[in-house]
Amino acid sequence: MAQATQAGTPVIELRHVDKHYGQLHVLKDINLSVKKGEVVVIIGPSGSGKSTLCRTINRLETIDSGEILIDGQPLPKEGRKLAELRAQVGMVFQQFNLFAHKTILDNVTIGPREVLKKSKAEAEQEAMQLLKRVGVDSQASKVPAQLSGGQQQRVAIARSLAMHPKAMLFDEPTSALDPEMIGEVLAVMTELASEGMTMVIVTHEMNFAKRVADRIIFMDAGAILEENTPEEFFTNPATQRARDFLESIQAH
Amino acid sequence: MNNKNITIRDYLYEAPGPKTKRYITIGTVLSLICVAWLIYVIIRLFYENGQLDAKYWSIFTRATTWRFFGKGLLGTLEVSLAAMLVTFSLGMIMMIGRINRNKVISTIATVFIELSRGIPTLLFIYFFFLAVPQFGLKLPAFWKITLPVAISAAGVTAETLRSGVNAVPKGQREAAISLGMRDHTVFLKIIFPQAFRIVIPGLISELVIVLKDTTFAYVVSYADLMQNARVMISNYDALLSVYLVVAVIYILINYGLNKLSVYLANRRKRLQAG
Amino acid sequence: MSISELLSQFGDKYLLALITTYKLTICSFGLALIIGVIITVMRISPITPLKVVADLYVQIFRNIPGASLLIVLVYALPYLNIVLSYYTCVLTATTLIPSAFCSEYLMSGMNTISPGQIEASRSIGMTFMQTIRNVVLPQAIRSSVLPLTNLMVSTMLTTAIASQVPLNPMELTGIVSYINTHAVGGITAFVISAFLYCGTAVIIGQVGNLIDRKVRILR
Repeated sequence: MAQATQAGTPVIELRHVDKHYGQLHVLKDINLSVKKGEVVVIIGPSGSGKSTLCRTINRLETIDSGEILIDGQPLPKEGRKLAELRAQVGMVFQQFNLFAHKTILDNVTIGPREVLKKSKAEAEQEAMQLLKRVGVDSQASKVPAQLSGGQQQRVAIARSLAMHPKAMLFDEPTSALDPEMIGEVLAVMTELASEGMTMVIVTHEMNFAKRVADRIIFMDAGAILEENTPEEFFTNPATQRARDFLESIQAH
Repeated sequence: MNNKNITIRDYLYEAPGPKTKRYITIGTVLSLICVAWLIYVIIRLFYENGQLDAKYWSIFTRATTWRFFGKGLLGTLEVSLAAMLVTFSLGMIMMIGRINRNKVISTIATVFIELSRGIPTLLFIYFFFLAVPQFGLKLPAFWKITLPVAISAAGVTAETLRSGVNAVPKGQREAAISLGMRDHTVFLKIIFPQAFRIVIPGLISELVIVLKDTTFAYVVSYADLMQNARVMISNYDALLSVYLVVAVIYILINYGLNKLSVYLANRRKRLQAG
Repeated sequence: MSISELLSQFGDKYLLALITTYKLTICSFGLALIIGVIITVMRISPITPLKVVADLYVQIFRNIPGASLLIVLVYALPYLNIVLSYYTCVLTATTLIPSAFCSEYLMSGMNTISPGQIEASRSIGMTFMQTIRNVVLPQAIRSSVLPLTNLMVSTMLTTAIASQVPLNPMELTGIVSYINTHAVGGITAFVISAFLYCGTAVIIGQVGNLIDRKVRILR
């Protein structure tokens, strides 16, 4: 693999990962490695398996065969060990998935308090700093339903960051947002990337991908077809399917 | 894709790892043993008390038995449907009263709804059985069971209907008014037909409550399924088997009605979503 | 018969009847909650036989008429050499039926929680029990307040089936039929019992609304 020459253990590594849904082969021999501080953007047509790939990394989806390693350790299959590993990998969902019965502040502190066993005061102090960083600190005492989609998604990012993750996964974080709110979420993500966060992002925002990605992964029908720098990929795609895909989204 | 609704049962657990799978297998085997033991205990209980004797169960092989049950069931259904019609009418009146803009009318309607919802059916039945005759009013047994059951269910029906009316989008009313329709025409032609479709599942659940309440028909000696079961017992000395079979009949009918209600509610949701 | 006449003649019995109805309601409701929770845990467990048994339990007791169940308990069980006191029979019937409804309400309370929230709690590293404690239970309980309030009222109404057996002391429905067979013009008795039932129902409803308004989850 291209990354084998680079120093250090990759933060995320997938080796020969396969997955089926019944007859459907959704992931075909996936090999991927993400090193520290790298921003990898996965693009591809809908149904290409990119979301599934993203969700296998913290075992929200199981795999049939192959290996997934986080910081060199194989992903545990169940129990406390799996929970501990998940705590080290942040995840941001398309539908935000904030806890409906908790305030914004409690949404951010619950992880540190329950999982990292931090004190209430310490967790809240840090949570307020994070909320300030994503620009929703003034909403801390509200509940999720009182916030706009863009605000909720920024809170979801803060909730993940509160766990001090080694890497963050973004599963189409802006797909459920009204157009005028996409920018505010992408801005937070851009800042994270510039601070050196290791990120795997599934998105349809091509301009964002061009700007932020260190590497673009192009997937179709469950397989990785191309893996390249954004400059190379967007100006000179190697496969016909990638060319078709780029044309189809530029047609809008 | 199948149309089954996804419930908490489908997503509460994640795909089990090998250890969890082993626990589930052990749990399944242990619980199967418990269930088998429980069934064995129940059957032994029946056997030791001679309740498995053919004489108690052979009556269910005779057509006459089922004809008699059938007659009783017909009585049950007649009372249930009549009560449901009365309930629906009363419920409509209470609901229209409750949503009236006149404070006095809406308060009176609310009081009647609370009375209907807060008093047990049996008290209404005793009222028609013991108190109404004191006024010199002689009602046939049919109405002595139908009316109290209906009155008892009317309050909940009124609230069900009201929730249906509230569920019709505001724009419907505004659009109808902008076409020049008058207030009561809007309600009758636009709002209510839509509200009614929304509450059909709720009304079927209401029918289940009504049907359960009709089992008190024996209080007024009306020949429903339960009353016929009592008659059968005095003739055949097969109390346990007859009461159990009757209970199962009631359970199956109500189960079917509830399934129908859920099916219609889900179909509505799907039609709206699609 | 006027209220004062009625109360001077039957006042003590009436007070006892009210207490009996309250006692039955509270005991049944409390037991129904406990059984309802146990049945619900069985229904959401990953162990199929438990699920099947608990589902069957719920379908039986939410669909059986109260009269039918009470008759089986009082008159049929002795044929299996199981003889329970009248009070036990009534309490059993008024517990089993609400327990099935309790489980149904808890299930629909849990169904208001989106799959995404469960995935989110997994993804921040919560174990299964932590997810249950912090995400599933609080939301299920909070969205079950109103249905459980209505369940308490309907449990009280169900206790009226106690009037179908010779219970001592009598409850609020039994005493009405007793007075009407022992004295003329017992319509007042209906009014008093109706008022006590309905008043209690309204109070329970108001308290439930109050709690619900405090804990309701905005969606």
